[in-house]
Amino acid sequence: MALDQFLTALGSMLEEARACLATVDNAESLEQLRVKYTGAKSGALKTVQKMLGSIDVKDKPAAGMRFNEVRDGIEEALGQAALRLGQAAHRPGGGSGPQSLGPVFDPTLPGLRPRIGTIHPITQTLEHLKEIMGRLGFNVTEGPEIEDQWHNFVALNIPEDHPARDPLDNFYLATAKAVSAESVTGDPPAPRLLRSQTSTVQIRVMETEPLPLRIISLGRVYRPDAPDATHFPMFHQMEGLWVDRNVTMTQLKSVLRLFATSYLGGDVSIRFRPSFFPFTEPSVEVDYWWNGQWIEFGGAGMVDPNVFQSVGIDPEIWSGFAFGLGVERLCMRRFGITDIRDLYRSDVRFLRQFAT
Amino acid sequence: MLISWEWLSDYVKIDRPMDEVVNRWAMSGLNHESTQWVEGLPVIDLEVTSNRADCLGHIGIAREAAVLYSQPLAIPTLEGLRTSKQSVHEVLSVQNRFPEACPRYTARVIRGVKIAPSPEWFAKRLRSIGIRPINNVVDATNYVMMECGQPLHAFDLAHVASNQIIVRPASDKENFQAIDHRSYTLDPQMVVIADSKRALALGGVMGGLESEVSESTVDLLIEAASFVPMAIRRTARKLKLHSPSSHRFERHIDPNGLDWASLRCCQWILEFAGGEMLEGLIDTQPVARSGSKILLRRPSVSRVLGIEVPWAQCGQILTRLGCTVEQDEQSLEVVAPSFRQDLTREVDLIEEIARVHGYEAIPEDAMVPMVASARRPKDTMMLTVRSIACAAGFNETLNPSLIGKSPIDRISPWTTQDPLVTSVPLLEGASSLRRSLIPSLIAARLHNQSQSNRDVRLFETANVYLSQGAQLPKEQHNLACVAQSEPRLVRGVFEEIIQRVWGQDGPVLDERLIDFDFLDKGTCVAWFIGGTMLAWVGSLSRSLVQANKIDGPVAIGELDLDLLQGSVRLVPKLKALSPYPAILRDLNFIVDESTHWGSLRSTIAKSAGELCREILFQEIYRDTKRDGDGKKRILLTLTIQSDTETLKGEQADAVVADVIAACQSHHGAKLLA
Repeated sequence: MALDQFLTALGSMLEEARACLATVDNAESLEQLRVKYTGAKSGALKTVQKMLGSIDVKDKPAAGMRFNEVRDGIEEALGQAALRLGQAAHRPGGGSGPQSLGPVFDPTLPGLRPRIGTIHPITQTLEHLKEIMGRLGFNVTEGPEIEDQWHNFVALNIPEDHPARDPLDNFYLATAKAVSAESVTGDPPAPRLLRSQTSTVQIRVMETEPLPLRIISLGRVYRPDAPDATHFPMFHQMEGLWVDRNVTMTQLKSVLRLFATSYLGGDVSIRFRPSFFPFTEPSVEVDYWWNGQWIEFGGAGMVDPNVFQSVGIDPEIWSGFAFGLGVERLCMRRFGITDIRDLYRSDVRFLRQFAT
Repeated sequence: MLISWEWLSDYVKIDRPMDEVVNRWAMSGLNHESTQWVEGLPVIDLEVTSNRADCLGHIGIAREAAVLYSQPLAIPTLEGLRTSKQSVHEVLSVQNRFPEACPRYTARVIRGVKIAPSPEWFAKRLRSIGIRPINNVVDATNYVMMECGQPLHAFDLAHVASNQIIVRPASDKENFQAIDHRSYTLDPQMVVIADSKRALALGGVMGGLESEVSESTVDLLIEAASFVPMAIRRTARKLKLHSPSSHRFERHIDPNGLDWASLRCCQWILEFAGGEMLEGLIDTQPVARSGSKILLRRPSVSRVLGIEVPWAQCGQILTRLGCTVEQDEQSLEVVAPSFRQDLTREVDLIEEIARVHGYEAIPEDAMVPMVASARRPKDTMMLTVRSIACAAGFNETLNPSLIGKSPIDRISPWTTQDPLVTSVPLLEGASSLRRSLIPSLIAARLHNQSQSNRDVRLFETANVYLSQGAQLPKEQHNLACVAQSEPRLVRGVFEEIIQRVWGQDGPVLDERLIDFDFLDKGTCVAWFIGGTMLAWVGSLSRSLVQANKIDGPVAIGELDLDLLQGSVRLVPKLKALSPYPAILRDLNFIVDESTHWGSLRSTIAKSAGELCREILFQEIYRDTKRDGDGKKRILLTLTIQSDTETLKGEQADAVVADVIAACQSHHGAKLLA
């Protein structure tokens, strides 16, 4: 059979079907038309489809494509006619009798909702912190989680005899030589460890980046702690560092207030309480006033001159502040999470609640 | 540190309410933990930071109050204690063989005491801060420690063999019976106070059972010594033996406070137990250490704090804290008292001024100069990665970085090196750093299964840790996915991520079929860039599925985000659309079951030429009746288009003909008519 002949036949069939279906006015006639065109045994479409076999091979793709278009057009016209007559949408092969037009569409069925995942609440908090600190001019940096003692302790002004270096307070790596947990005097090679704070990144950045700088570093840190509702041996910290020629504690307090105000979405007051950290002097604990109470925010202070000296920065010219805070605590308070261990259990009933 | 409010009044008179004072302490560095009432008197628990050993006694806390409220501090004077004519040197000798751990050892002797209970007021003070009264001698040593922070020890002189004290390293595996009635095995890094025969006390930590003061004791040796903090900390940790004494020696206590403490203790003993103190003191290092001068320059105060503190007030604060101060218009020359070993530099003095002056004086609304900051390419990429994973229905999870040693935990597609191991486990049994995120995700899947959570899809982005010998280990940032499905779901997520992160001009990916032993054979593909694996996808092996009783299929895959980031395209660039229409051609090939789409596709790509813009896989189906066993049909669509002309049907036909011929010759593919 010639292609154009076939195409013409298809075209006129579609015209005719559309005309009939546009004017059909009762369910019985509609069903008759349905059988006439799409009947499984001897419907018009079936007949034409058989003719496809006799089309020349080279014309087959074109013929097939047009056939599909016509079939879709007739199906659509049938559906529209059924809707117009208040019937359920036409379903081919529904097997319905003349009185019923097959299954009835139920508009109250639940919608076909896309299945969409969720972002972990800690990730959401980290992104929130990055966004706020970005607006305050702080760039994001990162560093390794497995650190040497220079970056985790020495450069941070944590001397050999400081309790923070105790093997029981850190996750030291067992080296090939099996450095025993007792060798506090740590003759080289000193064992590496999982960083106990993100302040290590301060050192790496100050070693390499030009001044002045404003950075934050975020990531996992590790401290041996028996897990309970408020403790987990792995958690996340955000560390901030600003080094410039005239950075003072006044700016530290002001930046932290801007941060807290952005994070909480209302005007917030900040309070300093004296504290002690080896890498800052003076050192303070920071609280913010929110909902009628002082809430612990984190630790902060002015970069200790010894830290500057360890990375070759002249503390007579440069000054800076640093602050650090626990991300889990902020996250848990924000989302109403009461047990830190839930964050790391992977239960989808938990994870799905943080859909935003 | 427990503080008796009533006891404090011995040293300082404060007419302010206790709550107010407690708050002032908190705002100047002594955090308030709690207040309890013991036998009708308030006892305050204060947190003392590790740099403030001077606050580990009532006098130190009283000094803080005196400074804050500008009150005088009254430290008891110890003059006029009567001594016998006999010198201590006639009855006792001390030899220090371990000055590295015990730089200074002093001893006094009191003879003829009568052991009895302490007076009730004295015992009550000790009880109020949680110390059990023992007798008038032991109580005096404890009382003075809680007064000034210097630990003391009283020996029964009758049990000191040859009247000789030897400060020495413990011998290896030396056995020691402490006053807690337990025995400890020592090592040579520990310091013992011994006589010529045996150890009498574990220096700085605890006294020994044999030489302890008992009801029959008559003659006493009163020890006041200095120990090196690290030596004491190590001993206490190793033996798990922590005492109020070790707690103090682990910090830097006043090296010049020994003599006051020793005399003060003797004063109480003479008062409560009688006896007679021998003349003199045995002291292995009689020269007192004096502090060096610290210069405080006037501009430095505001340079650090950002506010002006009146210059005269700066000097006053330091003086009240016990410093010796010489002040002129522009500078202060300061010598810190020996009980403040933490004050060595200018900035230390500024902190003292700041905390006493009060941090509330620092404003919180200063100008902060504006600077620009930019989002890192990594953060931009990670937004894309996470949103695609979410769009595909995956929930993000975070898991601990350390895992155990189960067969699942041993899954390691990125390295054949052993995992890095910590000397202490993170959680029970978890001391191996992850070499892959997959073990955690399979554990997560199993946890959800145990909670009846079905059809779980999870992803995690985190570092894996790959050993590199002597260098710092490689920390590779990975994405991993797990789903209850066939691997195509995970593969699709990875394809979408790669395409979106790289855009149209990313590196050429080399797709290889590979076999990981933890995957079902023949299910795994991996993509490489120049020999480095970017990602892999497959189905967890049936044996692991069965061994771990996992219900249903486990599609897993992992992608190296660092390598992905290497070719990140941050901003899409428009490619002009062709103004000429595209011709679509469906092809339906019959091929052998073993024919992979990947190889068929690459044959098509090579043979179709430039006009073929897209090779779209549609579906695979089988019609064994017509095609016979071992055959399948692959339906695909070619998009044929030119940028320079409207293609004629014949041109498209030519492309299709080339494709058919190539598929026929390379794969024996037969086009379905």
